[in-house]
Amino acid sequence: MELTPIRKRAALQPGKIRLNSPPSAAAEETPCTQKTIIGARDFTFYYGSKAGVENITMDIEVGSVTAIIGPSGCGKSTFLRSINRMNDLIPQTRTEGLLSVGGQDVYDKSTNLVNLRQQVGMVFQRPNPFAKSIYDNITYGPKLQGIRSKAKLNALVEKCLKDAALWDEVKDDLHKSALALSGGQQQRLCIARTLATKPRVVLMDEPCSALDPLATARIEDLIEELKGTYTIVIVTHNMQQAARVSKRTAFFCLGKLIEYGQTDKLFTNPQEKSTEDYITGRFG
Amino acid sequence: MQTQLRQALNHLFTLSCGASVVLLVAALLLFLIPMLKKGAVAVLFRGTVEFRKMQAEQFDRGNEEALQKEIEQTAQSRQEIYAILDQFSRGIDTEKLTDEVKGLYRDYGDELRYKDTPKEQYTKLRSQAKIIRNHLLDAFESIDKTEINEYLDAVKVFEKGNSFSGTTVEKMFAVADGFQKTIQHVDLSRRGEYAEELSVVKEELYNLFGPRPEEKTPQLAMRRFGATRWDVAQKHLSFLLWQEKWVRSDDGQSMVSRKVRRDDPQYGSFSGTSLLPLFTLVEETLDISLKPRFTFYWQYFIDDSTPGHYFGGVGPEVLGTLMLTMLAMCFAVGPGVLSAAYLVEYAGDNLIVKIIRICINTLAGVPSIVYGLFGMAFFVTYVTRHPGILSAAMTLALLVLPVIIRASEEAIRAVPQTYREAAMGLGAGKFRSFITVTLPAAGPGILTGIILSLGRAAGETAPILFAGAAALAPIPDFGGKWWLQETRALSYGCYDITVGDKLAMMVPHKQFGMVMTLVMLVLCLNIVAIFVRSRMSKKLRGA
Ligand SMILES: Nc1ncnc2c1ncn2[C@@H]1O[C@H](COP(=O)(O)OP(=O)(O)O)[C@@H](O)[C@H]1O
Ligand SMILES: [Mg+2]
Repeated sequence: MELTPIRKRAALQPGKIRLNSPPSAAAEETPCTQKTIIGARDFTFYYGSKAGVENITMDIEVGSVTAIIGPSGCGKSTFLRSINRMNDLIPQTRTEGLLSVGGQDVYDKSTNLVNLRQQVGMVFQRPNPFAKSIYDNITYGPKLQGIRSKAKLNALVEKCLKDAALWDEVKDDLHKSALALSGGQQQRLCIARTLATKPRVVLMDEPCSALDPLATARIEDLIEELKGTYTIVIVTHNMQQAARVSKRTAFFCLGKLIEYGQTDKLFTNPQEKSTEDYITGRFG
Repeated sequence: MQTQLRQALNHLFTLSCGASVVLLVAALLLFLIPMLKKGAVAVLFRGTVEFRKMQAEQFDRGNEEALQKEIEQTAQSRQEIYAILDQFSRGIDTEKLTDEVKGLYRDYGDELRYKDTPKEQYTKLRSQAKIIRNHLLDAFESIDKTEINEYLDAVKVFEKGNSFSGTTVEKMFAVADGFQKTIQHVDLSRRGEYAEELSVVKEELYNLFGPRPEEKTPQLAMRRFGATRWDVAQKHLSFLLWQEKWVRSDDGQSMVSRKVRRDDPQYGSFSGTSLLPLFTLVEETLDISLKPRFTFYWQYFIDDSTPGHYFGGVGPEVLGTLMLTMLAMCFAVGPGVLSAAYLVEYAGDNLIVKIIRICINTLAGVPSIVYGLFGMAFFVTYVTRHPGILSAAMTLALLVLPVIIRASEEAIRAVPQTYREAAMGLGAGKFRSFITVTLPAAGPGILTGIILSLGRAAGETAPILFAGAAALAPIPDFGGKWWLQETRALSYGCYDITVGDKLAMMVPHKQFGMVMTLVMLVLCLNIVAIFVRSRMSKKLRGA
């Protein structure tokens, strides 16, 4: 991997990004181009005085699926949650370096958090639908954006549920409580809910770890369908899953980015010793 | 050995848990059942005809015709009793007789003048009447029977003269006749004693039957009716029949206090007099004279009480308690939940926040009378400038605030972080995510705090003691500044009846009824709140 750290923010401005443009072969060779949507430069996140992640420098390509793997406690979630500043809820944290989404510095004072989070949606480890109806769960985000029209909301609910491959299962009881759904359905609902704010990036933090294999397979199918339209960053403990769904994989260890590259290359021919140890299961 | 010990400990634990639950329930029942039983008497009792009279007169209730019929029926048996009483008291109550005779003498003078009697005849008749009067007055004053008979015989001489037939003087002769008959069985030396005892008998008869038909209606409403309840009637009957007496004990040595019937031939005060039949008559005909009937007085909960607490219900108290509780909740819930939200969502973990928490916990344990004094010193003096519903409600709100803050804090803290994250991940700000997600999820817990404080606010007396509660406050006038008016309240009413209101102490059912009403009111409020809470948590669980 040859990642050129870019110190100046100007260099990060990707210009106008066409969300649906499929990444070309050429772009894969030079990741630091117009096709980048998330860029980190020496990004460090501190919990108090302890670093959650240290000196991360990586670029994530538009419309691709990127997997982050690594042992527990290595900072995968920390990094992921930094991207849409979910970590703001934790007191006494600070950052160093640069992290940008769509050319906008995430940790800049002028960043509009609402916009950021609507552009960068998040799906959590445990399905966490609101204790509201399926319909209200999905319209929560759009309503925050100021969409009030019933027709628009109805159309949006249908589209998002279809995108999340849930429509056929729930179309008859949209006004039933979301908590009455099964775990897998709930997680897909959470994905649908995230899609409803029309994000550019969807972050998924171990989205299948609380689900059974069948539900997991459906989520993976869903990710397959969503890529291209959305940029997806997925944290996973499941190596097979990473291999199946992602185009690129980043391996984190002890708060550092150890290796980042094409998924097939990383799994078949890891450059670093610790990566090899981890993917072959010799690592704790 | 080890496993056996463990098993024994397990059993012991289960047993002690079960036992403490049983103990708790038993204690609760021990307290609740007698109270509810005594309180139920306020609503379910045997009402007498006097009760129905009172209801008709004070509250415009009941069937006029049926009541009139009933009154007529009872009047008959009462009349017999009054007849015996009058007959006896004519001989005893010489003061009254004296007045009567003097009055008759005056009337006779008027009568003569009215008839334009010639001068000399007038003087003659008048002087004769005067002699009759004086004889009678002498007879009334004397305690010697032979002397009395001499006087009365002298009066009779005039009766035979026939010159007074058809005039007022004939009434004087009748008085003389009655007097002569009565004193035959009366020990005249004990006349003073009789008079005293007779006043007791008269008072108890009044308590039983109210004023006599020919008497004029008393001013006080409570004096207008006899015993409205059968149990009260029984009490007055026993006061009428029995008296406390010091009698020689059986060994003839010491004097002992003993309850004796007034008509007891050996010790009774009226032994050997013509009053004796009255006692058995009253006892035997009491249910005819009062017509007790099973009554369900549900209007107890809405009726005003007249006068004071004597008749009627606890309507104003219920209204006042409801108003105070609801208003206090309005004041307390908003600030309480908001402070809890601040403590959980915004405040860090610094010294000031710790101090605030300690203060809240301390406030929850401060005696309620301190709140009452504060309410008077602050709300009444500076805020409303008048003790009334508003200041009382504010004091109550202050009292329950710590409870609400603590319960809400726990509830808000218990909302899983993932809920907030989900909302924030969708772009909701702190406020939006709190209102739309955290607060509904914390709702059941917050309601638990509200349930606890509802009972407290409704039941506390001390905080409203100086801030706006009054025992006999009028019903608030909702057209005017009702929030500045003092109000009645169940809790304060219970307290006042117990310690202050002499009048109300005579109606214990009222006091227990008030306690029962308070308990039932709190129960109802709680049931509503618990129902809402269960609906809420059901929704949260997705059912
Ligand atoms: N809220 C927190 N406060 C302090 N330290 C934290 C917090 N969350 C995570 N950490 C620390 O940051 C490191 C990275 O955690 P995390 O990103 O959750 O790891 P992963 O998701 O890879 O398992 C861990 O060492 C953990 O102890
Ligand atoms: Mg994690």
